[in-house]
Amino acid sequence: MIKTNINLEDMSQKEAIEYLSESVQPEIGAIPAYLLGDPMVYDIEHKKVFLKTWLFIGHESEIPNKNDFITRDVAGYSVIVSRGADGEIRALYNMCTHRGMKLCRADAGNKSSFTCPYHGFNFKNNGDCVGVPLQKDIYGEEFDKSGLGLHKVRIESYKGLMFGTWNDEAESLEDFLGDFKWYIDIFAGRAEMEVIGAPQRFVIHSNWKIGADNFVGDSYHTMVTHGSIVKLGMVPSATYSKKGYQIHTSKGHGLNLGTPNPDFAFPEELKEEYKSNLTNEQYDVLANLKNMIGNIFPNLSFLISHTKVKGQLISNTSVRLWRPVGADKMEVITWLLVEKNASDDWKRRSRESFVLTFSPSGIFEQDDTEVFTDITAAASGTMPLVKQLTYNYTMGLHRTPVEDFIGPGVVFDDKFTEANQRNFYRYWLDLMTT
Amino acid sequence: MSLEKMLATYEFEQWLYAEAKFLDDIDFDSWFSLLHPAISYQMPVRVNKEGMERPDYSLDMFAFDDDIELLKIRVDRLKTDYAWAEIPPSRTRRSVNNVRLLEYVPNDKAVVNSYLTLYRSRSTDIHHDLISGERHDEFTFADGEWKLSKRRFIVDQTTLNTRNLAIFV
Repeated sequence: MIKTNINLEDMSQKEAIEYLSESVQPEIGAIPAYLLGDPMVYDIEHKKVFLKTWLFIGHESEIPNKNDFITRDVAGYSVIVSRGADGEIRALYNMCTHRGMKLCRADAGNKSSFTCPYHGFNFKNNGDCVGVPLQKDIYGEEFDKSGLGLHKVRIESYKGLMFGTWNDEAESLEDFLGDFKWYIDIFAGRAEMEVIGAPQRFVIHSNWKIGADNFVGDSYHTMVTHGSIVKLGMVPSATYSKKGYQIHTSKGHGLNLGTPNPDFAFPEELKEEYKSNLTNEQYDVLANLKNMIGNIFPNLSFLISHTKVKGQLISNTSVRLWRPVGADKMEVITWLLVEKNASDDWKRRSRESFVLTFSPSGIFEQDDTEVFTDITAAASGTMPLVKQLTYNYTMGLHRTPVEDFIGPGVVFDDKFTEANQRNFYRYWLDLMTT
Repeated sequence: MSLEKMLATYEFEQWLYAEAKFLDDIDFDSWFSLLHPAISYQMPVRVNKEGMERPDYSLDMFAFDDDIELLKIRVDRLKTDYAWAEIPPSRTRRSVNNVRLLEYVPNDKAVVNSYLTLYRSRSTDIHHDLISGERHDEFTFADGEWKLSKRRFIVDQTTLNTRNLAIFV
């Protein structure tokens, strides 16, 4: 039974979790609005989701050379990701072990060691503490620095995508991705890929789950939200986004696959490279790909978009992180990926289409962020909880998956269903209530 | 400063004020008419670098990287009924100051730097967005008028505190 006169603030965390398991019902398509605005839900999420799962950090091509580093956020904590002199990638908590000062304030750079601005402790980029000012004089001859190494963060990569986690008990990244790797191969592993430039960053007053929900399965919104793109002739028709497949796997991962495409969306001259990196079945998907929109649980979305810009077809591949910074606020961080062996002209045009469509100024992106902001505002505060406002996620509940698709997962033969969102919230709820 | 340069500085100040007024008044067609067909309109991504390492913006990633055709697409899009990001339009107020004329060849070309402070208010939201930065502009004299042929806007934030750039900088 759903309780009345609910107030999460008066509940213990245990009671709040019980209420979550009663009120969130992905299987019947009932997702309550309070999930998008309640601070208690946000706090539980931080502990049960973001401190437990693998979270995206960046792409290996961002630190190609020895001693290159980037600083990134993992569940609200700054992490230095560095390629050591031995070529190995390590992730270190960006905090001096002596008194806790943040060691490095740059986004990226090249350094073999980091010196704390507070007392000058010096750490090699493998984490070892190698310098303490006036050490012999003030700590004595016998002082042992070996216990002062920086805290290491667990980091693993798949197809160049680096993920970190604070959970030492978490399964391996590859196990976490599971069957979804088949699709990740297509967007991140089809060729040698590289990130162009620095990631774009902007802040939206939106709950992070709205972004994940939008990318994991919502192709339905493109007809209306992105209607202006059709009017400009950049995509063929308003129902363009319906054709294809909706696919999800375990652990909340999911994607929408737009297909078929009469045109090859990628550089023609790289066909051999694609074939050498993909199975025949994966290459078949790639060759017919119109677009690919998905989300790796919890908050890394990816996109391959094929549009006509200035009369010429061009695709761009990007990943985006919906980084929570509050119940009603997130930082959106986007990276553009291109084939390293593509021509300079192709890379330039791919970037041009990315900036035009999916950067902060992007003509797709900007209409989404407007919607995300208003949804969050309407879901915030006590009323949506007390009045038990619930969103309808029943689209496609009557449908059965197809059996003959060449890739893994639960597959529906067009994109207009909400099975992926239900799958996302199912896994989210499992983590929240564990 | 020579009288000629003073007059030219005044002329470009007035040009930039008029541009700000067109944009704040949502008169995109008039704004578009100020642009040179060969314009390069860029806003690089700003980054945090170690110490005084410069430039502290990306040389190969941009929030805007447009030529005249792409700017036309943006203007046309804002006029469709589906450009939700600007329905209703943001109320914006562009303050342009610290205008400095760096190069000036009469009836030919000019290089002008200025500061921009852009206030943005959306809908009933009591919060506002502030976007500030420095413009590096180049002008070309064509058909008896100064047209903007290059703008590079160096924004002051590495993480933009606005939901989108459905507006011009």
